[in-house]
Amino acid sequence: MSAVRTAVPTPVQAEAEWAIETRALSKRYGGKLALDALDLQIARGGIHAIVGANGAGKSTLFRVLLGFLPPTSGTAAILGCDSQRLKPSDRRRIGFVNEEHTLPGWMRVAALIAMQRRLYPLWSQAALDSVLGQFHVLPDQHVSELSRGERAGLNLALALAQRPDILVLDEPTLGLDVVAKRAFLEALMYSNEAAASTVIYCSHQMEEIERVADNLIILERGQLRNASAPDTFCARVSHWIAEFPFQPPPPANVPGLLQMQRLDGLNHYVVLDQSAEFAEFLRSAGARTVNCMAVSLDRAVNSFLAKNHAAPAAA
Amino acid sequence: MLDLIKAELLRFRVWAIAAALLHAATLGFFTRVVDPLQQPLFVYQVVASVYVVLGLLLGLHQIGGYRRPNTWLHLLHRPLPAARIALALATASGLLLTVVIALPLLLMLAMQAGFSARVVDTRHLWLPLAAGLLGCIGWLGGAYALLAPRRYSVLVFALPAVFLLGDASGIAAIGVQWLVLIWLLGLLVAAFKPDLSAPPRAGIAELATAVPVTLGIYLLALLASMGYQIIWIALGSHPLNSTPPAGGFIETSRMRGDALLQAGLLQSRDDSAEVWSEQVELSEVVSLIAEFDAFPKRDELTNPAPLEFDDDERRVRWIFSHDRMLFSGVNLADRKHAGVLGSGSAETPLLLPPLPLDGERVLTSNTLYAYDSELQQLNPRIALPPSETFAAPPAPLGAALLVLSDRALYFYDRRAFSERSDLQISRARLALPAPIGSLERIDLIELLDGHLVSLVYGRAGVDGPFDAWQTLWQLAADGSAHEIARRELKPDFPLALRHYGWWLSPALHSLRAQASQLFAQPDPMRAHEPVSRPVAIYTLAAALMLLALVVAIALSRRMPMSKAHQLVWCGACLIVGLPALLALWLLRPASGRAAAAGSA
Repeated sequence: MSAVRTAVPTPVQAEAEWAIETRALSKRYGGKLALDALDLQIARGGIHAIVGANGAGKSTLFRVLLGFLPPTSGTAAILGCDSQRLKPSDRRRIGFVNEEHTLPGWMRVAALIAMQRRLYPLWSQAALDSVLGQFHVLPDQHVSELSRGERAGLNLALALAQRPDILVLDEPTLGLDVVAKRAFLEALMYSNEAAASTVIYCSHQMEEIERVADNLIILERGQLRNASAPDTFCARVSHWIAEFPFQPPPPANVPGLLQMQRLDGLNHYVVLDQSAEFAEFLRSAGARTVNCMAVSLDRAVNSFLAKNHAAPAAA
Repeated sequence: MLDLIKAELLRFRVWAIAAALLHAATLGFFTRVVDPLQQPLFVYQVVASVYVVLGLLLGLHQIGGYRRPNTWLHLLHRPLPAARIALALATASGLLLTVVIALPLLLMLAMQAGFSARVVDTRHLWLPLAAGLLGCIGWLGGAYALLAPRRYSVLVFALPAVFLLGDASGIAAIGVQWLVLIWLLGLLVAAFKPDLSAPPRAGIAELATAVPVTLGIYLLALLASMGYQIIWIALGSHPLNSTPPAGGFIETSRMRGDALLQAGLLQSRDDSAEVWSEQVELSEVVSLIAEFDAFPKRDELTNPAPLEFDDDERRVRWIFSHDRMLFSGVNLADRKHAGVLGSGSAETPLLLPPLPLDGERVLTSNTLYAYDSELQQLNPRIALPPSETFAAPPAPLGAALLVLSDRALYFYDRRAFSERSDLQISRARLALPAPIGSLERIDLIELLDGHLVSLVYGRAGVDGPFDAWQTLWQLAADGSAHEIARRELKPDFPLALRHYGWWLSPALHSLRAQASQLFAQPDPMRAHEPVSRPVAIYTLAAALMLLALVVAIALSRRMPMSKAHQLVWCGACLIVGLPALLALWLLRPASGRAAAAGSA
């Protein structure tokens, strides 16, 4: 596995310190490798989206990075600190929001905020108010009385008010309705604190990633498959439609094939890293008509991730 | 940290108040029905168990909620050392348990002291603290069981099991409770870390974990031997559950008194053996056993039995007060104070706390008092030498009154005892040939010119390591005594089983015995004959210790640990044996196994 570096140059990168850096990081659960010799360096600044199918190793990576799981081999560092030896002062610089928004349900919102405020010396009340203003959360409410979306907003507000150097969001919009999701994303996008820190955003929602991410990191079976800007990744994936009056070429012979479908007598090919020469390939294989279309990030990522997954024979 | 404490108090405040009210109401009800401070030991043990279980359940519930991966991450991922978070949760839970357990008990004591004539001593004021400590120990045990790796977490319950069931009493017992609590708190702090699957990192933490884990393994191994015996019983060939082997201890302990005397006489070469045998057939045989396990100890928190007796004629209940060393009267008709009761007409305080035998006799460890209802005083009737302790209540045999102490069997004049009210002098004394803790039974008859006494030794040795024998003595009318027969009793169980607890780990066998005696005064009733172990048992123990060392060397080489660490573990395996080896295997798993456990 070769090292892949993210390609989002920022002024902070000149400090020669990665926000996240793993070297040959492996994590084994019994006989299964959740992380497979992962070499990953994420530059400081910007919003980095990490995507992958279930079991790709995203949550395991976060747990290792925060010191809650020991690596089987290799090393992991966050903000330059060994993840297995994080000190309380290091944790102050790392914000974390998970998909369950595990806040103490028995506490009132005001008491929870007051507790967090005393805990974090760089506390930004303005950041908290700014984010919380987008959600209908009252100080006297118990956390358990909040809707899932409101709890997500409160969780994000608390994390941003800490003014962390790095903010890890592990599927934060999971289970939120459209309105709550939009409010959450806007709160994140327009937050000065988020802009000032490195945001690691893990999600299955490609439209969210398309909106917020500067950098797209794809994990598959514990290995790094891509690290680039979303547009750059989209540009690598193309969608070709061809009409074959006779037998189409066998899939094994199609270069860069990610996904193939036959709809209404037309063959649809989603391929990776193919130029205009792919049209020549299709024509030489007997295609009567050939058209090329752009693909959305959702389609590109899904096709990319579906490549190595089993699919029904009829598909 | 203060915020975390407040948050936890807030979380459980309603439940805590409800539980405290329920506890107070329950105590209030029982206070109306019985005197909670004058209950037998068993009742205190049951109540203490309830407090431990209450703490345990709180620990399981509270930490169980935090144990889920995301919640655990949220709890620990904050700019606070994990130890302070652990201490905050423990402090909050300690306060909650104080409210639920200790405060209602204090309230009950205050009500009893202020609104009743019942006795409330200084020693009783320690009960709320002791109960609260037990609750906290339960909480720590539950919390640790959830947080430490499952491979060994439950084994640390050996710590309270060994120490809290020891013999310490009074303030010393509270000292033992503090020791266990601090130890468990240290273990919890060591386990309270982001990566829950990791073994303790610091050497002192590993040592503090390894000791109870090793003890736990040892106790489990002892339990396994009980399981073996249960299977043996089920098969129907167990010596206790079938016809016992002839000439063995079980057969002897089940014999009738006359048969036992006859069996002893068969071994006698005395010329009078035949005559005595005939007398056995014609005489009444009296059997004695060492009935008293323990006498009340000054200022102990609980009682071995209620320290009270009723004068039914005068309708007065006499309750003993440790503070005054006198009995305090409560009128059963109007529940008002009814005077005090001491030794003699001067109402002299007793020297030792007594055990009421019935409505007529009261016994301290070395003085028997008779209660005079008319004069309302206690008259000393039998006084043992100061270093001796009663082992059984007085029993009549013909013209004699038998009194068994931990050192001797005394013969008093039965008629004089019943007709007079002064202190009696014994007519004869038969010194016991072995410690009282080994005495299984005494059987004796009255002869024309003295007594014939059979003593069977081997108590606690049915399946244990102690030797068993019967010895027959003739006590002449002039008070001289000589042994006329000795019969060795065969062990009923295999040698390896009888010495199992020792050869498994001599060091832990000793540690367990020492731990149960921590801060305790020696109990004369537990004095035993020293165990004689065959060479084969020593050889077996040594072989197992060497085996543990060899496997430990091989095992530790594959583990990521320093040379010094390896040396310590190998040394421990050599000294402690197989339980230490198993502890090493549990505490220091191979990395793959640790990862699998961590993912569970």
